Amino acid sequence: MRFRWLAVFPLLYAAGFLLVAWWLQGASALTLFVPGQRIVVRILAVAGCFVAASVFERGDHLRRAWLWLGWGAVAILVRDLLRLLPPFQPASAGPGAQITLSGFGILSNVALLAGVWALARSWKMAAIELPGGRSGIIAVAAVTAVLAVAVAGPGALKSARELAAGDWGSLILFVSAVVDIISLCLITPLLLTAVSLRGGMFSWPWGLVTASQLSWLLYDAAAGLTPLFALGGFPMAETFRGMAENYLFVAGVAQYLVIRQVRRAAG
Amino acid sequence: MTSIATSVAEQIAERLTPYIGQFNSRMWVKAVARRELGLAPEELTSAHLGTLLDGLRPSLSTLMGRGASEDLLLQIRREVR
Repeated sequence: MRFRWLAVFPLLYAAGFLLVAWWLQGASALTLFVPGQRIVVRILAVAGCFVAASVFERGDHLRRAWLWLGWGAVAILVRDLLRLLPPFQPASAGPGAQITLSGFGILSNVALLAGVWALARSWKMAAIELPGGRSGIIAVAAVTAVLAVAVAGPGALKSARELAAGDWGSLILFVSAVVDIISLCLITPLLLTAVSLRGGMFSWPWGLVTASQLSWLLYDAAAGLTPLFALGGFPMAETFRGMAENYLFVAGVAQYLVIRQVRRAAG
Repeated sequence: MTSIATSVAEQIAERLTPYIGQFNSRMWVKAVARRELGLAPEELTSAHLGTLLDGLRPSLSTLMGRGASEDLLLQIRREVR
């Protein structure tokens, strides 16, 4: 039952966020509220990842996965906190500040990808039988890859062209877009692992991490198509970002709870 | 004799099911029985328990870490007859 509540939390948070954003619409407080709540969801994601890592022992495969995710979440939190300081704000940031922000962005992307990659390959390491057979897996992988390229591909292409023309400032955008495409493709093994483990508690962490990745897919779509997705001026991209971070938070909590449950029942 | 042998595989799968679901529980027991002992699940007896649990250890450790997997394997060793 508590796992269901964990799954509902990001949706309740998103509804609450939209309600407050609607209430503040047009007010200057909205410009403080949006980055403020972004910090909150970043902190929750960090907490969830480290709570999950804490339940494993040194050398455990999933401890490494959650630590990668946790340090990736820390790097992006630090970047967002720095952005609140005057020297790092877009209007006043010099080259040094921009390089620092880009550095944290790249570090975060790489660490998060390493974490998602480690989680995604667990099915193979644990010899979990994925559902649907070979053709089913290929079909889901193809759909996911098409969605990933459709959402993040145009950004990757644009930044690659700018990079080729000598604009090194596009490096972070290029890295970010490529990492997005790879991460979104990893939805396939995460989703199929969750489905394969259905009926068992361990399907929850995988299902919730999958929900986080799907929310990033929606975030990328909303961020790329802002005029279409900004329904009535609502910050949809920010809503999906909050959902992605909150699903990572609850996935970490679910991971912690299922391991605790195994040890309690067996002990 | 066959019913006793079948129940060893089923007892192990039953104890794994709350965590990894019925489908994977049965598949894991079947795969380990075949790989480690060259037997079908219905041919397993309590004499095979040690080898079976050793064969399950790597998959369980990946999924739940060494601590929880050892706890679970000890529980299965205690309860399965």
